[in-house]
Amino acid sequence: MNDTEKEVVEILQIKDFVKDGRFDDAVHTIGLYIGDANENEYLDRLENVIETLLTLHGGRTVLRFLIENLIIDIPSLLEHLSKRDPVLRFTFLLLLKTICEKECDLFLPYSENLVTSDDPNVREAALQLLIYMAGGDAIIDDESLIKTILIKLSDEKDFVVEKALQTLKAIGIKSPKFMTKILTDYAKEISEMAENERIKDLIDEILKSIVSIDKIEEIVEEEIESSEAEEKIELLDKEESEILNKEFELKKKKLEIKKKKLELEEKEKEILEKESEIGDEKEIKIPKKLKKKEEEIIDKEIELKKKDLEIKKKKLELEEREKDLEEKEILEREKALILKEELIEQEKALSQVELELKQKSIEQKEQKIKHDEMKRVEEELKKVTEKKEDNTD
Amino acid sequence: MPLKEEHILKYLNTESDTKNKSELIDLLRNTIDKLCFDDCERDRIACTLQPKCSRRHLLKLRIKSELKIDDLPKFCYSVHKGVVERFFRNKTVIYRPFDAYLYLIDFLDVFFHGDYRKLNKFISFNKLEDAFKIFDDRIHNRNEKFEYLKTDNYLIFKFEDRIHVLYLNEKYVLCNANRESITSLELLNGICQLYAEIYFPEVKLAFIPSKHVEISLKVPYDILTKISREPLQDNDSKMDQYFWNTFWEDLNALTQYCDQISLHEDKNQNLEIILHVSLLTNNYTEEGDKLKLRHRDLRLIFNFATRIYTEYYILWI
Repeated sequence: MNDTEKEVVEILQIKDFVKDGRFDDAVHTIGLYIGDANENEYLDRLENVIETLLTLHGGRTVLRFLIENLIIDIPSLLEHLSKRDPVLRFTFLLLLKTICEKECDLFLPYSENLVTSDDPNVREAALQLLIYMAGGDAIIDDESLIKTILIKLSDEKDFVVEKALQTLKAIGIKSPKFMTKILTDYAKEISEMAENERIKDLIDEILKSIVSIDKIEEIVEEEIESSEAEEKIELLDKEESEILNKEFELKKKKLEIKKKKLELEEKEKEILEKESEIGDEKEIKIPKKLKKKEEEIIDKEIELKKKDLEIKKKKLELEEREKDLEEKEILEREKALILKEELIEQEKALSQVELELKQKSIEQKEQKIKHDEMKRVEEELKKVTEKKEDNTD
Repeated sequence: MPLKEEHILKYLNTESDTKNKSELIDLLRNTIDKLCFDDCERDRIACTLQPKCSRRHLLKLRIKSELKIDDLPKFCYSVHKGVVERFFRNKTVIYRPFDAYLYLIDFLDVFFHGDYRKLNKFISFNKLEDAFKIFDDRIHNRNEKFEYLKTDNYLIFKFEDRIHVLYLNEKYVLCNANRESITSLELLNGICQLYAEIYFPEVKLAFIPSKHVEISLKVPYDILTKISREPLQDNDSKMDQYFWNTFWEDLNALTQYCDQISLHEDKNQNLEIILHVSLLTNNYTEEGDKLKLRHRDLRLIFNFATRIYTEYYILWI
């Protein structure tokens, strides 16, 4: 059997496995088939596999297994496909569409590197895969990745620019607010240079495609909410810093406890070692029943330790809760103190007003007394003068 | 009522003001150019998987109009060539590239890859004998399976059941000829000769210039005497089945594509069936014009001839 006949047999075997639903066997055979190839044969064999899978019901599942098991490595696959005709390349990308939509985790980690590849065909293919991913269940919100795609709007190849544009539109449909922010920030960054006019136009195009009247309302509402939220966040930050200080103190205490535990464990080990030494000597004499009992005891000990650990966990949880409660109490006390201070101040103010009022009333009384005395003195003087006149008469 | 295709065609035929006509055609041309060079090629993946014109027929428009490669949407053409190549190598394709036009050099690159530069030179400079040496070498020494035939203006290739017609003067090739009409009697005669050499070598072919090609088939007397004289019985042979049931249906079908079919007994009492095949069929357009004969129609005629020859002629000679 020559090499080509052997290959045909292997491909037929793969086809049979896929048709019979024996996907693991198919994956294994494909792994061997590709693995056996030398550098020259690799691309042809890869193409044969892809060709075979393209036409088979279940081929997509096998492909997913191949990617999951790293038999087909996505970056190197795209690089190899770049050397093939566009029909195969793009048909294969189409084959990956459903997997991209449903399991974007398989591809997303490679995306940023592939988008910045030296090969424009790879860049284009990576962007197409991102379009498929954006069309699926996942929301792409990796700022670094989106910025990398944004940079591709100024790629030297027009077809890469077009794909980048489509990718950003596709991502933006699901998260318009996030995308609008990144795009506007980027537009501000590049606004100073005149040669970036085209990129600005492209950004404008993306924004127009992702922002509708409904979405604008949403974005505005979210912005108002976010400003309110920012204020709240400031307050929370203060509280957080206080809590963090307390946490820090607690951690210190925990570390001390751990140190003590370690010391205790070391001591336990030493004791166990001594026991085992003694045990070894005794082992020969100890019957099997005793050994079983010992094992049971050890199991029970382990269980007890587990329970201890659980209890400790619960204790820690309780402590945490208590701390939370204490913090709340402290906050309440602080609030109460503030209220008291305010009351005291108000009382002081009231007492001052009272004093002032009292002083005024005293002054008024004094004036009255003075007035009365004046009247009395005048009357007495009148009486004295009348008496004198009577006497003179 | 909205504007329809026939309104535009009628307007183009009847409008006397050439300025109006050219304005309309300009509109059409600009739309086509925008579609090809801007809308479709802008996204290469869409251009590859879902071209904006069905089966890239706008490429055909440009190639048949003898435009050069620089006047074509290049990526679209490269995909088109790739599809022809993949189909030739029996690989998966998005659509089967029937009636695909390629430039001579690209056709040679796809079908005769190792020798395509030499072949292009020989064919371009009309040194066809040198080109035939390469073809023969490939057939006899390199185990390649194809047949070819040269006429004055065409070089016809047959790879398996697919026909490719090289237009020697225009330097382009019709690949996987199917629904395209046969453009001349010379080409019709060439294709008939090529098929006759392969499938029914003893059948008489006659070329009546500027009229038609005659294909004369014979059913020997021995065969005729073995056919049951009565309508079908339960134990009738395959031959009876054919001549009582299918034969007249075949002839009836062929009347659509043949100018004339004549049946008569020759001097040895053999049944002689003469098919007169011209460039026009007996089918009509909505306007009442005769439809042109297509490559796929010709294949039906050849299937009939091959059946009569292999099943009822060659065995009895």
